[in-house]
Amino acid sequence: MMQTLLEAFRLVFQQDVLIAILASAVYGLVVGALPGLTATMATALLVPVTFYLSPIAAIATIITASAMAIFAGDLPGCLLRIPGTPASAAYTDEAYAMTRKGEAEKALGICLWFSALGGIFGTLSLILLAPPLAEMALSFSTYEYFWLAFLGLMCATLVARSSPVKAIASMLLGLLVSCIGIDNPAGTARFTFGSMDLLGGIDAIAALVGVFALSEVMRAMTTPEPPPLPRRKFGSILKGMIRLTREYPKPQIRGNIVGIIIGVLPGAGADMAAWVSYAMAKRFSRTPEKFGTGHPEGLIEAGSSNNASLASGWVPSLLFGIPGDTITAIAIGVLYMKGLNPGPTLFTEKASSMYALYIVFLLSNVIMIPLGIVMIRLASHILRAPRSSVMPVIVLLCCVGAFATGNNLFLVLTVAAFGCLGYVMERNGYPVAAMVLGIVMGTMVEQSFVTSLIKSDGSILPFFSRPVASVLAAMTFAALLWPLAVWLKRRLAPARAAAGA
Amino acid sequence: MRISDRHSGLFLVALGTVAAYGGSRLPPVPGQQIGPNVFPLVVGIGLAVCGLMIALGIGHKFEEEAEADLAAHSDAAPAAARSRWNGLLALLPPGLLLFYVYASEWLGFVPTAFAIVLAMARALGAGWRLALPLALVVPVVVHFLFAKLLRVPLPFGFLPMPW
Repeated sequence: MMQTLLEAFRLVFQQDVLIAILASAVYGLVVGALPGLTATMATALLVPVTFYLSPIAAIATIITASAMAIFAGDLPGCLLRIPGTPASAAYTDEAYAMTRKGEAEKALGICLWFSALGGIFGTLSLILLAPPLAEMALSFSTYEYFWLAFLGLMCATLVARSSPVKAIASMLLGLLVSCIGIDNPAGTARFTFGSMDLLGGIDAIAALVGVFALSEVMRAMTTPEPPPLPRRKFGSILKGMIRLTREYPKPQIRGNIVGIIIGVLPGAGADMAAWVSYAMAKRFSRTPEKFGTGHPEGLIEAGSSNNASLASGWVPSLLFGIPGDTITAIAIGVLYMKGLNPGPTLFTEKASSMYALYIVFLLSNVIMIPLGIVMIRLASHILRAPRSSVMPVIVLLCCVGAFATGNNLFLVLTVAAFGCLGYVMERNGYPVAAMVLGIVMGTMVEQSFVTSLIKSDGSILPFFSRPVASVLAAMTFAALLWPLAVWLKRRLAPARAAAGA
Repeated sequence: MRISDRHSGLFLVALGTVAAYGGSRLPPVPGQQIGPNVFPLVVGIGLAVCGLMIALGIGHKFEEEAEADLAAHSDAAPAAARSRWNGLLALLPPGLLLFYVYASEWLGFVPTAFAIVLAMARALGAGWRLALPLALVVPVVVHFLFAKLLRVPLPFGFLPMPW
């Protein structure tokens, strides 16, 4: 134990890893702060760079960049009422109201301080949750893996802020995309239409870059440019944060716990955590009428929640290879590439790498505070960069990044196609995150499904007769029927009210 | 590009049906009941069912609520295309990627990237004084980072770089 821990420290405190952490922190802060560039996009564009780094450095860049980007997304929210990343959208209103009251320092301070604390809590949950779950996962068979993957997909559709039917359709579309190629149980060329390039299937990373980066650029082409940030001087950022931490212990703890739970749920990420936590803060507050007028309570709860969800999102990713959110969906690809194949054995065979990962998480949340303060002070300069100089660079990085993942021009074509698809889907209310999870998890779902069916000789009984499998199955069906229950309840509620009147 | 739910739903019905049919025609594994045909069949049927539900407008209410929630919380610009021409501008980025696919081998990375950056910057309303220096500097920097430091074999074409 002690030896592995020392080994882990040795893995992290190396020159290349530390430089990678620092550089990706700056990168994450800048990308997250620019409206229209999301944390997922920051991660997707990092992938080609991670190929050339050592395994720990590669994972460290992703962890650091995503944590920083989620915090930095609060900046334009506070100062301009435009969320920098979707994860900040839930409380942009509140933060901006505080800025208008002349408390910009306090709003930014809350975002920074509670983001860092939330990240640290999330990491602790990862450290505590992962080993016992890994123990359990060792006894899982293909039946359990099938239900787990299927449950993950259903959760992704459940939490999409859109119509559940459209979310399921998007997810199925993703699964269909994953059918392409010869990577199936029989090795038959499937839906390749005779194309050599399609034999290898659709590259998930290229599809992700298209959906999360290119379609974002496409959206920027048609929307008006956000207004420039007024120049302003900031006072002390962290003043009074200790007092606020003492004053509002409950919202903070609740935010952390909700964030952790939502992070662990496959497919649900930081944006969902922030929405749920903000709503909960309002519901349980003693002064709900103050919400929306620049009240710190909701900001504390939601701000800590979205960062807490980031770390716990790695739990299902590391244990089962099921992404906890869109960021870890990308990270899983990198894990495989670096020989850190997700699975319960990761915790026994590569324990030092796991400890190193925990250290990176803690480190990145600690350096978030000083770097965040510098970023806030420089924000008015960085946010001044016009979109017309940022977007061309993003397009170029989409080209080169996709090409670099396989030295193949077909990948650039994939990015273009998925950019268009993502753009059209987003505009019409089809949640793209659900499709992405379908693409990433398709092979796993199919493999566990078909292997299970072959093992059981075509009978579906074993899917329900094993104890863990039956519980997972029940949860999956509950997730499937949940929207129906909500709909029924709403239909019955007005009827009952009318009957009572 | 806004498509009505009826159209997108019917498209999904068609896609699901074709996928299920195409999947069912795949050759099975000899001596095995379950082969590569099962999964596309299941997914295709599911997709067709969902498409039908979308076309009938089931679940539309959830979507409206989420949109209203977002609109109440921020000024995130309501994406209203100002004109038809403006909507087409969205096709520029994927168009430039296509240009990269077909031109980069022949022209080389730096000239292709110059054209891409210049076109994007101008389309987003940058003046020549910003667009030209940007288009001259960015491709060279990106080429240095990826070709020299990360060893990606980017094509040289007409303009070899000194590294």
